[in-house]
Amino acid sequence: MKRLLRSRELLVLVLLVAMVLAVSTVNAAVLRPITLINIVNSSLFLMLIAIGQMFVVLTRGIDVSVGAIAGLAAVIFGLSLEAGMVLPVAMVLALLTGLACGAFNAAGIVFVGVPPIIMTLGTLGAYRGLMRVLTGGSWIESVPQSIKALAVTRYMSVPLMVWAVAVLVVVVAVLMARLKPVRNFYAVGDNREGAYLLGINVRATEFTAYVLAGLFSGAAAIVFTGQIGFVPMQTGSGQELKAIAAVVLGGVSLMGGTGTVWSAVIGALFLTAVDSMMIFLKVPGSWNNAVAGAVLLAVVVFDYVIRRTVRNRQLAMRAAEMHHAEREHDATLRPREAAR
Amino acid sequence: MRASTLLRSWEFMLAVVLVVELVVLGMINPAFLNIENLLFSTSDFAHVIIAAVGLTLVVMTGGIDISGVSIIGLASIVLGLSFIAGVPIGLAVVIALATGIAAGAFNGAVIASTDVNPLIITLATLFLYAGIATGLPTLLDMLGFEAYGAGGFEAYQYEGITGLPKVFTWIGNGRIGWIPMPLVTALVLAAVASWLMLRTRFGRYLKLIGVSPAVAHFTGVPIRRTLVAVYAINGFAAAVAGLVLTGYLGSARSDLGSEALLGIITAVVLGGSSIYGGQGSVLGTVLAGFVLGFMRQGLLALGVTSDVVPVIVGGLLIGSVALRIGMSALAARRANQAAFAAERMAIKGNGG
Repeated sequence: MKRLLRSRELLVLVLLVAMVLAVSTVNAAVLRPITLINIVNSSLFLMLIAIGQMFVVLTRGIDVSVGAIAGLAAVIFGLSLEAGMVLPVAMVLALLTGLACGAFNAAGIVFVGVPPIIMTLGTLGAYRGLMRVLTGGSWIESVPQSIKALAVTRYMSVPLMVWAVAVLVVVVAVLMARLKPVRNFYAVGDNREGAYLLGINVRATEFTAYVLAGLFSGAAAIVFTGQIGFVPMQTGSGQELKAIAAVVLGGVSLMGGTGTVWSAVIGALFLTAVDSMMIFLKVPGSWNNAVAGAVLLAVVVFDYVIRRTVRNRQLAMRAAEMHHAEREHDATLRPREAAR
Repeated sequence: MRASTLLRSWEFMLAVVLVVELVVLGMINPAFLNIENLLFSTSDFAHVIIAAVGLTLVVMTGGIDISGVSIIGLASIVLGLSFIAGVPIGLAVVIALATGIAAGAFNGAVIASTDVNPLIITLATLFLYAGIATGLPTLLDMLGFEAYGAGGFEAYQYEGITGLPKVFTWIGNGRIGWIPMPLVTALVLAAVASWLMLRTRFGRYLKLIGVSPAVAHFTGVPIRRTLVAVYAINGFAAAVAGLVLTGYLGSARSDLGSEALLGIITAVVLGGSSIYGGQGSVLGTVLAGFVLGFMRQGLLALGVTSDVVPVIVGGLLIGSVALRIGMSALAARRANQAAFAAERMAIKGNGG
């Protein structure tokens, strides 16, 4: 319980609820269920790539190419639908694209030893360029409208896509809690050498993390294409940085080893909600980025201050204990000396 | 000694690559080697070199600043809005540069006083500064400042501010003798940065922090002050890049530079800086900037679409790092073999 209260996920969740409630005093329309559902619906894309990003950050890596992977996967998805393939096949192709892109990143990072930020920054340019090469720079608009139907189908007035992602999140959360190999991500991120000495296959773990990042980006591409019904060239552009912001906001440390899938989910929800709240407060949309940046900065600095305070208190306690022990030691010694 | 010769050879290699690149592109298209043409095409990428020079100093400390691309746009829009508000252009330039320095110093102050990864801090300020840049026009309106023309400042939120005076656009379009101003600015800035790095105590501090912050701390390096200063310098460089680009395009926009991140980091890394800190040179960054810039120009001149360029730049970034890793692995292996051979000789000498 105490651990739950101290967790960053809860802190951000409380902030999120507080923000929504605060805005509702100005504009009560925020609290309408349809508004909240829409916020969740529009956070799906960011949520999926943030979950992928989380695996990478857990292992103390970073992947700035996830947005570009999503873009490339969306292009493949759109092109294969355009070529007349059935939906499931196109979906598999999109996921495979994500998987392949992730595996390419992983190969450079794990086997060649290129620093993650350099490798993924390079592939960010490469995948985004490839996306334009494949389409000649034009949008893919002739996507069959049947896939858009997926996005507008609602059960209990909640879109199908939200249900699908919710199920996925729960499955991932359960798997992460139950599967033993998942602990490897944490171990590698916390202490790479230590993990190696424990017999954990560090390379395989890191490889898997980047592949998962690619895979989730592929899934995000499917959701995105379904939601807007065409594939613009800007798909996923700038989202890689938002995904990193989301996971860090949600409590995944860039130093590796901490964080859960809920970090990614809540972080993505928060960043999307900030954008929506701006609309309800009638703040011009041009301020969205500034607010998102300020929130991220505030949270990481606040988190640092808390960590420092806790550490200082522990140090003070230890010092007091040692002082106490010393005095006791002196006290037992002194009578003997006096007797002598 | 060995490390320093290796380092020197990396810059030498870059210079060779640059010459080969120019010769090859010139052979394919002789018009490319027209000296005037060549000099003027540098104006297209001088801003990348300017920003990369600032980033080189930051990367030397083992840090990174990705918010520079937002500072480029922020400086540009601050200049434009000041001009619209009736501030004399000289003062407007000073305000824009001061904004850049302040933005950089803020990064540095937060980074120096927390243990949070610089990538995260500057990711946050990347959003923050970009948001301020796009939001500034409406803010000025709300604060009740008067702008020339109808529509107030908000009219300039998405379209560029044009009509900047000739005195100012000269820094983007003018030239001294044969050399265009953006190139002059880039070279002067690079020379100053190089001097800072190689000839001053500040430069030694940067390197020491990059090699080991703990050792630097115990050696008495003023880490906090040095970090704030180096990030402020980077902010200044980004602001200069923003002004040069604004002058060159003749239009002040809040979204200038947002596409430059890949190019800037590639120039720094291709130039031989290690992103783990402690290694790198301004000269390498400048050379790498030229290699990248001319490559882009050459490819476009050859009819390659601009879509393929990022693929090649990305490949180059990864390839150059992989090459360096390979080279150092090879060197280590050779050293090991030499040591092994020497050991065997010694044993033979003893045992025989």
